Formats: sequence, structure tokens, C-alpha cells
Amino acid sequence: METIEQTKTLSREQQITDWYKEVFPKVCGFVKKRGSDLEDARELFQEALVLYYEKHVTTGFLPEKVEAAYIMGIVKKLWLRKCSSENRMSSIEGIELVTAEENSVPLTQKLIKFLERTGSKCMDLLQSFYYEGLSMKEMSVRFGYCSERSVTVQKYKCLEKVRDEVKQRALGYEDFID
Amino acid sequence: MRTSLIEIERIDQWLLNQDAPASHLLMDARLVLDPVLRSNVRDQKTSHDLIRRYGRQKLINEIRKVEHHLFTADQHRSFRDKVKSIFNF
Repeated sequence: METIEQTKTLSREQQITDWYKEVFPKVCGFVKKRGSDLEDARELFQEALVLYYEKHVTTGFLPEKVEAAYIMGIVKKLWLRKCSSENRMSSIEGIELVTAEENSVPLTQKLIKFLERTGSKCMDLLQSFYYEGLSMKEMSVRFGYCSERSVTVQKYKCLEKVRDEVKQRALGYEDFID
Repeated sequence: MRTSLIEIERIDQWLLNQDAPASHLLMDARLVLDPVLRSNVRDQKTSHDLIRRYGRQKLINEIRKVEHHLFTADQHRSFRDKVKSIFNF
């Protein structure tokens, strides 16, 4: 299996497919041995992929050994967290325990409406820089700009649109959490 | 680039720690003195958080799309059979 760096030219979709084919059956075997089902395997694996991807993007981290083994390690940690959370839930009757992480629902209805107004083209461009960590050169190729300068200017125009919307609605980050 | 975009660029460099130490210090001082700038910085930081949240959701959607394809497309039958055999379907 190739690493994220080796497959930068490949699409992210192809990378995810490779991870599924190589690691997902191992995740299924892991949860089956512990008496769990396919649904748990899917949830754990999806969360592990997001965590691995974000760790790579935000820190430039690449595992020393095999990428698949590292993703499997994340799955095992998530499994332990899930088990300990379920134990806590069942041990304290009548008290709802919700961690901060569990409380961060991915996208609220409010955010979706907000993004529709801002325009998905702008949001796609912005997320490629702030989330995917692409360089200006990579962005200019992906979005068809003739130069890095052009895409830089467009990025700030889009960011201005988002910021104006945030300001107009006096939104804080907490407004986007359910 | 127009003035408002230059200001956005400067704030971005400060938020992402991509400016020179002297510029960073100057911005720190301006933030103490200028309430409008403080408000713009706060809104820009919120914008960054929103964009990252959007990016994460986009990734999750992409993962789910790939999974759906793997579990439905003919060319991935062997993958499906492998998973099904684990759970004895």
C-alpha cells in the first residue's frame, strides 16, 4: 500500500479505496473477535481514516512502519475508547455522559445553510488550503488558475465572503455546534 | 490586491504564524489598541474553524461514497465476499 505522500498525484478517492481494501477486512476481523458487528467496524474505520488524514495534514506526520498498521492502531484505540465510554454510560444510571468530542456534531443545519449562501465553489477552494493543506501551486492546478497569485487573490476574496457572513450574523464557533 | 484583502492576508499570516517575528509583534500591539481589528481577527478565526469543519464533512462524504461503491459495484465482489465471510453472512 502506498503512503499519502507517494500517492499525492492519485486522487483521494483512490487512496481511500486502497485503505478499505487493505485495512477494512482486518478491522472487521478485530471487531468480530470481540463480539461486535459490521456497523461498528464501519464507524471505527471511518473515524480512524479521518483522524489519520488530519494527523498527516496538520503535522505532516507519516508512520515509520506500515501505514496500514498505523491505521489499525488508531482503530484499536478507538475501540478501547468506545468500550470505556459504554461502560461509563451503563454504570451511572440516569446521568447522560457526553464528551466534548461526541458533542461536536459534524455539520449542523445552520452551517449547511450558511455554506449554501457562501457558495460551494469558494468553500471547496478554501478547504483545500485550510483543511487539506494544499500549496498555492497545487491549488492553481486543481482549480484551473493561471498562476499562484491568481488563486491566492481568489482565496482571500472567498475568505472575505465567509468572514463577512460570520460578522453579519455575529456568529461564534459555538453557534455551529448542536 | 485591494486594501481589505491585504488586511485579510495579514490577519491570516498572523493566525497561521506565517509572518516575520517583527510583523507578528506589530500585529500583537495593534490588536491591543484596535477593537475593529480584534473583531476581524476573531471572525477570521471562526471562518477558519468553519472551513475546516466543512473540509472534514467533505472527507467523510467521500469515505462513505467509496464505501458504498465497494459494497455495490460488480468489480469489487471479491472485497465484499471477504467482508461477508468474516461476519458469516
